Amino acid sequence: MMTETTTNRPDTPQDSGLVDMVTQDILYPLEVQAPKRRRRNPRAPYILLLPAVIMLLIAIGYPLVWQIYTSMMRYGLAQQFGAPPEFVGLSNYLSIFTNPSTWGVVARSLIFCAVNAILTMIIGTAVAVLMNVVNKGVKLTLQISLLLAWAMPVVAAVTVWIWLFDWRRGVINHTLTAMGFNFTSFNWLGTSLGLYFVATLIVVWMSVPFVAFSIYAGLTQVSPEIMEAASLDGASASRKFTTIIVPMIRPVLMIVGLLQIIWDLRVFTQIRMLQDAQMPLNSDLLGTYIYRLGVGSGDFAMASALSIFVLLITIVISIAYVMRLVKEDS
Amino acid sequence: MRGKIAGLVLVIASALVLTGCAQPQPTDNNTPEGAQDITFWVIGGDTPQELRDYLVEQYKSVNGGTLTIEEQTWGDIITKLTAMLPDANNTPDVTEIGNTQSPTFTNVGAFADISDMYAKLGGSNLLQSFVEVGKVDGKNYTLPYYFGSRYMFYRKDVWEAAGVKAPPATLDEFNAAVVKITDQNPKTINDFSGFFIGGQDWRNGISWIFANGGDLAKQEDGQWVSTLSDPNTIKGLAQLQEIQAKASMAPTTARDQSPWLYINDTDSAKDDAGTVTDTSLAAATIMAPGWAHWSIGDLTKNDEGKDVREWNDDTFGVFALPGNDGKPAPVFAGGSNIGISAKSTKQEGSRQLLEIIFSSEYQTMLGKNGLGPANSTNMSALGDDIFAKALIESASNSKLTPAAPGWAAVEASNKLEEFFQKVADGADLDSLTKEYDAIITPMLNQK
Amino acid sequence: MITIRQHFKPLRLVLSLVAIVIALIWVFPVYWMLSSSLLPNVVLSSTTPRFFPWGGSFANYASVLSGGTFLRALTISLQVTLIAVFFAILFAFLAALAISRFKFRGRKSFVLAILFIQMLPAEGLFIAQYKMMSTTGLLNSVLGVSILYIAAVVPFTIWMLRGFVAGVPADLEESAQVDGCSSAGAFFRITLPLLAPGLVASGVYAFLQAWNEFTIALVILPAEQMRTLPLWLRTFIQASQAREIDWGQVMASSTLVAIPVIIFFLLVQGRLTSGLVAGAVKG
Repeated sequence: MMTETTTNRPDTPQDSGLVDMVTQDILYPLEVQAPKRRRRNPRAPYILLLPAVIMLLIAIGYPLVWQIYTSMMRYGLAQQFGAPPEFVGLSNYLSIFTNPSTWGVVARSLIFCAVNAILTMIIGTAVAVLMNVVNKGVKLTLQISLLLAWAMPVVAAVTVWIWLFDWRRGVINHTLTAMGFNFTSFNWLGTSLGLYFVATLIVVWMSVPFVAFSIYAGLTQVSPEIMEAASLDGASASRKFTTIIVPMIRPVLMIVGLLQIIWDLRVFTQIRMLQDAQMPLNSDLLGTYIYRLGVGSGDFAMASALSIFVLLITIVISIAYVMRLVKEDS
Repeated sequence: MRGKIAGLVLVIASALVLTGCAQPQPTDNNTPEGAQDITFWVIGGDTPQELRDYLVEQYKSVNGGTLTIEEQTWGDIITKLTAMLPDANNTPDVTEIGNTQSPTFTNVGAFADISDMYAKLGGSNLLQSFVEVGKVDGKNYTLPYYFGSRYMFYRKDVWEAAGVKAPPATLDEFNAAVVKITDQNPKTINDFSGFFIGGQDWRNGISWIFANGGDLAKQEDGQWVSTLSDPNTIKGLAQLQEIQAKASMAPTTARDQSPWLYINDTDSAKDDAGTVTDTSLAAATIMAPGWAHWSIGDLTKNDEGKDVREWNDDTFGVFALPGNDGKPAPVFAGGSNIGISAKSTKQEGSRQLLEIIFSSEYQTMLGKNGLGPANSTNMSALGDDIFAKALIESASNSKLTPAAPGWAAVEASNKLEEFFQKVADGADLDSLTKEYDAIITPMLNQK
Repeated sequence: MITIRQHFKPLRLVLSLVAIVIALIWVFPVYWMLSSSLLPNVVLSSTTPRFFPWGGSFANYASVLSGGTFLRALTISLQVTLIAVFFAILFAFLAALAISRFKFRGRKSFVLAILFIQMLPAEGLFIAQYKMMSTTGLLNSVLGVSILYIAAVVPFTIWMLRGFVAGVPADLEESAQVDGCSSAGAFFRITLPLLAPGLVASGVYAFLQAWNEFTIALVILPAEQMRTLPLWLRTFIQASQAREIDWGQVMASSTLVAIPVIIFFLLVQGRLTSGLVAGAVKG
């Protein structure tokens, strides 16, 4: 009796262990049935929310208010050392809008974000499908290697990649040269395009495991009976993929995709560490640009205004997406 | 249900309280009367352990309190100074600060006025270019800690094989020599540089500006003006541009990181097949801070069996970059200043620490460790080997970046790296220098 | 599941090969880190890379560990990460309970807020966060940095957990109570096991976030003895860069920072495969 009522999802196969567990949640939120009305203390939900809300108010609420306030001030190093800030209204925002280098950074960031998010999603989906069709041994090999990559701390990972691409002693140049292309002393990080290329490799390499495992977990939920039925109806593999699989894992794709957009738009550590190694012209993206303004030049007002601006950009490009998520949710 | 929730809230609350106790314990109060426990930030590993121990010991005997020395890194120092110097509860009491970073912080009042101590700490014997960057309106806020200056390391064998006399007597001779060595490439090595200098390496590149009488900026009527388009500056940049084009194969994005890799001979390493690998030699000359000589030389094993470089006078040599006026060319003087945080509540102890640092004993110890002492009367402590000679000679005419309030912002913006890279890439100097003057001038005056 | 396997054997072979190639590509940087960490710097500074660490030794590890700073940083990192993970999950679980089991005013705004909060770039916040921690005396404390980490991971953790919570029917808990369990007993014996995969999933996420973070830590934990592992690694790399970068030692320290995460993954894996869920539900 209890068995039937427990859960509305099919039992998960246990052979894939961790990966399913880690990622099924991604699928789940979207299968949620509408919350049921119960006779309960009407204050209960608020009490339950309290700890999380308090944490968010303390750690993000206050800094956010400070940021909005500061973005309308003249606030540089002198103010940091006690000089009274001067109210300048929206002029910081105005100079962001009129500064061509800001738009350069915005454009580069959007392109970088789009390329990275799309590549990650495509490769992640492909890897997830692969996991589903290959035999157990191969699948395990693939999963272990993805897990190892996933477990690499960001600082360590970027360091390794810089070493791989070292213009003089890096193994990439050596291998390419050995393969007959002349990459002796080729300086990958010498141009912003080269730097973005390496950054893209790093970001995709680091994000694919999460995406692949999430989608794989989604795929395990696609019932074999439906697939069987589709095969009997003579559907081709690609047709099955687009008409059955994609719609079923669409919720996973949506939330994972949203996360990629958010993360790739504000990518910081990877770019900053690559710039520490070498700094080609025009290589800043939004994250490092804010950091350079705030910490580097001591212009905290502009850095704050820019942060708010980035928040607005992110909301604008994802609003439709988010509204859809929330709608499906309730 | 209600009880359950209340219970959970209670658990959370108590857990928060418990972890709240897990903070660092305050230090015990068993210190003598008047003693102050102070913190001193050093940046990077340049201050040797022996000197740190000495400071701690001396401070204990003079003040009775404990001196804590914390090592910060150059990459993050601005972030930390920005956040912590204004904060009376957490500021370091005394801190090292990069000499070029000093003007920005002294101008916003981050450091305590120590003019009254100036004479006592060494006065006019202190390295004046460093004293200048620590001064605002005639008052001293930071003073020199140590200096290093840049000189040339070269391959005697390669210079000789190329038929070029070393060391060159004038800057023009040097400029011509390195181009000739590159053309000759006596060891026929791919991408060989007569003089290896990265395109973005402005700290070494500005020597050519200074040597031709140019400068990065000057003060006019209290306002700082960028002077890249000054004719003398352009003359120096043109020479640098030629060197970049004809003598240096370094990437135009390379900065002044580890150039010594390129001057050392082959590594004894064998590859997978057991054959000895390609030579790593790729340059006949580099320009580097004095301590680079520890990384240059033949490969040997030390007593512990670790691989180390051992300087070999037959293969390697040093000289100070010559100017065209018979004096050494003015090179960029690297180094640090030191100051007391204005917000420190332990001014007395901090001032005692400065007295120890500027004492003849400590200055001598700096010199013995190859760091240029702030006080010129202790210069002899550097010794009289070739490195000490080259250091003293090159430092005799060295120069600093402008003492403008916004200088740290200029450095942090990476505009100089951009500018020098474009120079190295062969940009038209007249329009380029005007373009960057317009960018840099407002930054110089930004507080 | 996907029926390709029954019909196209050659295709499957090709796909297996592709999978192996992908696995190799993904694992190569990890391998290169391990291999380089075993080699002396002299070998690494050669222009010809060595693909196998023949003649390698643990000398790099010995010199990295000799300072004793690694263990200190490891301790701090473990404290910060465990506190952050525990409370983030606890708070997120409570919030998830609220939004999936109750209908209340402000529910939708709350869900929107947690999605948008994650879009705020962190690089501009550090001055305010510093001021806050400094005035409350929480600078250089594990608690201070933990609070910021909890807040950083809580939004997404709520989003993850609410699906799991909704998946456990409240009826089940109630029927258990009818069967004679106390309400706490019902919670621990019925609800919690059902949530295990969700809790572990969000735990892995929170763990990775807290373990890797270094911008907040840089500002909130400025004292040398309070460095977390990413800060320790970064300091080590920067110190190395200032002279001649010693890739062997840098790779050894990177490996040391990665090992605890790998151990954590293995631990979690073992716990999960024991079949908590299945046992609790079907038993």
